[in-house]
Amino acid sequence: MSVASPQRARPGRGRLHFNRTLPFWLLLPGLLIIAAIQLYPALFTVYLSFQRIEPGTGRYIFRGLENFQRLFSTRQFIESIGHTAIFLVGYCVLAMTFAVLIAMLLRQRVKVTAFAITVIFVPWVLSDVIVGVVWRLFVVPQYGLFSPFFANPSLFPPRGISVLTTPPPPTLIPGIYFPPAPALIFLIFASAWKVLPFITLLILAALQTVPNEVLESAAMDGATAGQSFRFITLPLILPVLTVALFNLILGGINGVGMVFSLTGGGPGTATEVLSYLLYSIGFARLDFGLAAALSVVMTVINLTLVLLTLRLSQPQEER
Amino acid sequence: MAQATVLTAMSSSAYRPQKRLRPWLISGALLLVCALMLFPVFSTVLLSFKQQSDVRRTPPVFLPCDDEAGNFNLAACRFVLEGYGRVILLQPNPSAPLGFQITGRIFTTYLPNTILYAFASATFVTLIAAMSAYVYSRYRFRLRRLIMVGLLTLAGVPILTMLLAMAQMGNAIRRAFPGYEERLYMIVVYIGFELPIAIWIIKGFFDTIPRELEEAAKIDGCSPVGALWRVVMPLALPGLLSIFLLTFVGVWNEFIANYLLMSRQDLRGAMYGVYDFIAQSLSSYNALAAACVLVMIPVVVIFLFTRNAFFHAMLEGAVKG
Repeated sequence: MSVASPQRARPGRGRLHFNRTLPFWLLLPGLLIIAAIQLYPALFTVYLSFQRIEPGTGRYIFRGLENFQRLFSTRQFIESIGHTAIFLVGYCVLAMTFAVLIAMLLRQRVKVTAFAITVIFVPWVLSDVIVGVVWRLFVVPQYGLFSPFFANPSLFPPRGISVLTTPPPPTLIPGIYFPPAPALIFLIFASAWKVLPFITLLILAALQTVPNEVLESAAMDGATAGQSFRFITLPLILPVLTVALFNLILGGINGVGMVFSLTGGGPGTATEVLSYLLYSIGFARLDFGLAAALSVVMTVINLTLVLLTLRLSQPQEER
Repeated sequence: MAQATVLTAMSSSAYRPQKRLRPWLISGALLLVCALMLFPVFSTVLLSFKQQSDVRRTPPVFLPCDDEAGNFNLAACRFVLEGYGRVILLQPNPSAPLGFQITGRIFTTYLPNTILYAFASATFVTLIAAMSAYVYSRYRFRLRRLIMVGLLTLAGVPILTMLLAMAQMGNAIRRAFPGYEERLYMIVVYIGFELPIAIWIIKGFFDTIPRELEEAAKIDGCSPVGALWRVVMPLALPGLLSIFLLTFVGVWNEFIANYLLMSRQDLRGAMYGVYDFIAQSLSSYNALAAACVLVMIPVVVIFLFTRNAFFHAMLEGAVKG
């Protein structure tokens, strides 16, 4: 024992050492990539938001909160917040309502349930860009399948509308961008159609956890379907509804592919939501400082929502 | 647990609860929902097979099946491949195997790029996420809780707000290493963005694998790496597969990062191809629809064959954040 040669001991100890540090080596690649691709750009964006780029030399000059001041005084920013708010309200209400209805239908197990679950989920695997094109093709001027419907003057007075080109009606209250352009409403429907499967599945999973015995005994005690939904099902699925709502808001704020392919931000700036504004400031107008400030604002909104979701869903950590 | 119940709903041997509504009424309503949900897809497929003269008709026609007199007649249906022809753009080429060569950019450039991005990202995400998730599932160490919550928070922050900084990063790399393969950067970006949520989902799968199995393997002389590779990985394979598919489809469908980070058109993927086609195809809407159909077919087929894997991963991920 005591005379074991160092040459023979070393490989053994080396392996022992490797086994003990194994967790570190397993974690390293993931942490490195996340640090490089998520952490560093986030910090760099914050740094950039305090700088102004000198036009000639491309040098960064520290300008404090100037970018934020510029952002909040830009009319475009205020307008796109208005668009985003209208979009989010419509999108969440539509998606939540239909998701609850469809999930309630799917919970009743009938012969077509398995088939329906599969079919209903097809839109979810389609890309934003494709969904945008698919819905755009419905309303392209003149030749779209729904174009005659929207162009009908008796349905849409006074002259009928063309979804992609009709500008928003005059605002009721100055400074509040309401009512929205037809294109924004159409965008809401297209986005809700795409996200519906995901929200439906979330709610369906929650509905499955509502015990049948409770519903049955409530029915035996004379509760109507509406009452048992209101007083048994709804309270039980409320946490999941909240998670679903935050998922919707997050996706709604950040989805941009559909705006690109469906309306391109237009007509005019009628469908410029925050995410599209970020593109048009940062990549079309190349105003990096301003775009970085907008990124920071959006990241703060996102982080708040994520942390709220985490707090509300309370993932069970240890087992 | 939650996803297990959804999945039992899909099997025919599912437990049937009490029926308060008539089954045929529910079935009817469900079929109506299915029809409404599929209508946009169906209408696009139909449009892609129309001929140009039917595409540009006012008022538009849903089924191009009317005869000269304007009556509906199944025998008069006109379905053509004109739209697909404009996407694929076959050119005669004597040296090509079949005498024809595909010259449509979607096929020569954009789809190959997308396939590369999707395969490479999905493979590496699955591998790296499995390694990390194993540690988070099996070991207890300082900062573990903090890192996990941090990962979850990052998973919620979308790619969009970081694109500005990443475009700058891309420019800097391009300037520092002229002539490097830019697609590598794209793949690393996708890996970085898909990793956090993948780690969380795989950790959930690992947590359900009993620890005793590995311990037994270790007692029988298996090294920790061996236990991970020979015992845990095979058991987690269905979960890993679902992460692979989820990432694959996610990257396949990604547009904005690819569009803004890749400086040249020939580095961009199929979604850019479709976007570009909107302007290119002008009013040949059948070609635009055909491009959409061709690009979405692979993911729809993958989804239809592996839907349970999707539902698993999706629910696991959604409840987490």
